[in-house]
Amino acid sequence: MPDPAASRILLEFDDVVKSFGGVVAVDHLSAHVRQGSVHGLIGPNGAGKTTMINLITGLFHPDSGTISFDGKHLEAMAPHQIAALGISRTYQNVRLFSGMTALEQVMTGCYLQRGVSLWASFLGTGNARRQWAKTRDHAMSLLKRVGMADRADELAETLSYGEQRRVEIARALGSDPKLLLLDEPTAGMNTQEASSVGRLVHELRDSGLTILLVEHNMGLVTEFCSSCTVINFGRLLAEGDPRTCIANPQVQEAYFGRQNDAERIQALR
Amino acid sequence: MHLFLEQFVNGWALGSLYALFGIGFGLVFSTLGILNAAHGTYASWAAIVGYYAVVWLNVPFPVAIAVGVLAGGVLAIVVDQIGFQPLRAKKAGLLGALITSIAFWIILDSLAGFATQQQSLAFPASTYPNRMVAVGPVMVPQMQIITILALIICAVGIYLLIQKTRIGAAMRAVGWNEVAAGLGGVNARVVILLTAFLAGATSGLAGVLGGIATSNVSFTLGEGLLLKGFAAVVVGGFDDVRGTAIAGICLGIIEVFVGQYVSTAMRDGVTYALLLLFLILRPRGLFGSTSFLRA
Amino acid sequence: MDALLDFWAAYGSTVVFAMINAFFALSTYAVLSTGVLSFTTVVFAAVGGFLAAQTVGHLQISIHLSFLLAAIGGGLAAAVVAVAFLKLDSHWMALASLALVLITRVVSLNAPILTGGVNGLVVPLRVDPIEVAILLAVVTFAFYRLHNSWYGLASRAVREDPAVASTMGIPPRRIQFVAFVISGVVGGIGGAALAFTLQFLSPETYFIGIAFTMIASAVLGGSFHWFGPVVGAFVFTALPVMMQAFVPQIEDVAKGVALLLIMIFMPRGLIDPRAVRLRRAARLRHKQERAVNA
Ligand SMILES: Nc1ncnc2c1ncn2[C@@H]1O[C@H](COP(=O)(O)OP(=O)(O)OP(=O)(O)O)[C@@H](O)[C@H]1O
Ligand SMILES: [Mg+2]
Repeated sequence: MPDPAASRILLEFDDVVKSFGGVVAVDHLSAHVRQGSVHGLIGPNGAGKTTMINLITGLFHPDSGTISFDGKHLEAMAPHQIAALGISRTYQNVRLFSGMTALEQVMTGCYLQRGVSLWASFLGTGNARRQWAKTRDHAMSLLKRVGMADRADELAETLSYGEQRRVEIARALGSDPKLLLLDEPTAGMNTQEASSVGRLVHELRDSGLTILLVEHNMGLVTEFCSSCTVINFGRLLAEGDPRTCIANPQVQEAYFGRQNDAERIQALR
Repeated sequence: MHLFLEQFVNGWALGSLYALFGIGFGLVFSTLGILNAAHGTYASWAAIVGYYAVVWLNVPFPVAIAVGVLAGGVLAIVVDQIGFQPLRAKKAGLLGALITSIAFWIILDSLAGFATQQQSLAFPASTYPNRMVAVGPVMVPQMQIITILALIICAVGIYLLIQKTRIGAAMRAVGWNEVAAGLGGVNARVVILLTAFLAGATSGLAGVLGGIATSNVSFTLGEGLLLKGFAAVVVGGFDDVRGTAIAGICLGIIEVFVGQYVSTAMRDGVTYALLLLFLILRPRGLFGSTSFLRA
Repeated sequence: MDALLDFWAAYGSTVVFAMINAFFALSTYAVLSTGVLSFTTVVFAAVGGFLAAQTVGHLQISIHLSFLLAAIGGGLAAAVVAVAFLKLDSHWMALASLALVLITRVVSLNAPILTGGVNGLVVPLRVDPIEVAILLAVVTFAFYRLHNSWYGLASRAVREDPAVASTMGIPPRRIQFVAFVISGVVGGIGGAALAFTLQFLSPETYFIGIAFTMIASAVLGGSFHWFGPVVGAFVFTALPVMMQAFVPQIEDVAKGVALLLIMIFMPRGLIDPRAVRLRRAARLRHKQERAVNA
């Protein structure tokens, strides 16, 4: 396995600005993610993490600055074009399609890998039917990978929150991406479930995927990420090795308030 | 010149009716997210109730207006609570409410047909102000002055209500926010009822005034207003009271002038051609408001 | 056999109109199923209807060829409308499509060469109900195929959440464009079928009434499955006839009340695959619980 710290840059933010009305959600931010790494993106609530993911996937467009992936500029592209480059994601508040079974969700995620035209699929040509069956098997194998194979035919809305999250990860894997963006994949999970997601992330990295992981659980970040970026109020606070980053006083301050505040709280007790 | 001024006032009064009607339609659309096909029936029913109040109970003109307006408002609340409220909880969105409003349109229209024995009724001439008043060089029927003033008062009043009061701010906040509407907190409830009542009442006012002015009290009254009022809403921008009012007046004036100086056949054509032009060139209406856009 | 003939004599025209409404409801469903509320089916129907009537009248082509022309004409009109409309926000598009219906009527009133204007247009040919039935079967089969193809999967995703669908590589606007074209083709066919059944077209033929009827049929039957609009069209067309039998005079009121009740208690329509699946899941859970308890 190549050393992620030395591998080439896959995703790069250069001086990106994004504001909503008066709120500057991302403020002249530059950052990068290296190929083959599990890169943590951390910061307190409202720091702009989800906004960054929305910018990468094209749901938002930056006010200024550039975002490049694999040498291509993303900032003017439509979301479906960006997806076709090999970027896939999950959502902080699970966004599965209502009325679809788990298997159908993942099949939908395989849209880019369907291998036939819509027209051929409508006509039901032999090739289209073969490809459909192949995609179906692939979707099943993805469900198996996240441990949801036995629930394939159940409606997504009848699954538990943690199960829905896993289906969503399987769906994101359907397009066979190069870069996977996970927005708080362990939110609402117990420790056991959370560490199984962590193991899955490692497996995926070992199969060649690059992963950007938004995570509030610092234990998971230090355990599973090889590098990280810390932001606050849309600005870069620290980047590099996760342990060093988290130990950084500025980061501590952003997360836990001012040092002397903390001392005062101590004193009050 | 004389004729020109006369027709100008004619058009203004006609357009005031369209605007009066359109304001409520746009208000419900932008605040409650409902495309209300039944909005025209409020006008028909207000006119019918006003008519019978006059003919059976001999009430004076202002009371007839008040009764009609009240009828429109109450009817709108009833329709909202029966037809739209159950869907809010189920998050059926624009589509569900559209269908229930179509249902109410069918029901109320055919009931209106019964109420008028499928005829077009007219207010007896002695029951409303029907003299001519000299305004500068032209003689203007009293009803036209009343209509023009009615629009100005309603438009300014509703505009101030929305922009300057607490409840108005709540109305703007609820606008299409299904979560807020679905929660049904006290505030949301009040906003919904108030919006429905205002819409029904203004539609009712347009109905009574229009029923008198056109001597047509029947179920076709509301339908005619619906089409033109709708055009005013689209041209004016549907979440904008000022835009609707101005667009309505302009459409009325244009309609009258085209009928007078071009040809009667072209009258509606010009209105809708304008509509098409606005749709393509300025899809957010006169004042180009974008307040309802959400990511 | 006699009973069948009697039924046909009494209700034949209802069945034919139900089939025609099924085309319209399917056309509306085509766009609804990608999350677009549009009344433009009636516009495409007008294009198809007048085109079919005029080509049969002036060019003496066969009825079958004119159906083909109506389908193409409706599809082309839909493509143009889609380009103009798909830029608009969804609520705004609903309004715009309604405006287009009004404009269509004015155009047909003021273009007598094309539409006969106020006097209307007599259509010289009549279509055999059997042929309408065959055509409807073909169109319905096409919807069945669409539903079970990649397009169907993509359209459901776009309807439920266009933003999420787009991050999975599904271009929402393109899917909706296709939906419009399908809507146009089917609407055009329906318009021609109506022309060859009524044998008389006026500017009022393709107007608000029909626009609301087709949306109501599609939603009443259920807009989450291709079978819904077909069922909805038959129910909605048969409703007044049935009501006339039970409550004459107030059949319109009864029809409105029925529509209201169905929408309040079944807002997703009569045919709802999601409800079926939820029920099935509940049954399964119930069975498992019993097995565990036993
Ligand atoms: N669509 C939007 N419209 C307006 N403001 C927005 C929008 N999206 C995000 N913001 C604002 O941008 C800022 C950053 O939000 P973002 O969701 O990116 O934070 P986050 O780091 O993901 O926080 P959390 O940990 O709570 O998920 C916040 O102040 C938020 O209110
Ligand atoms: Mg977030």
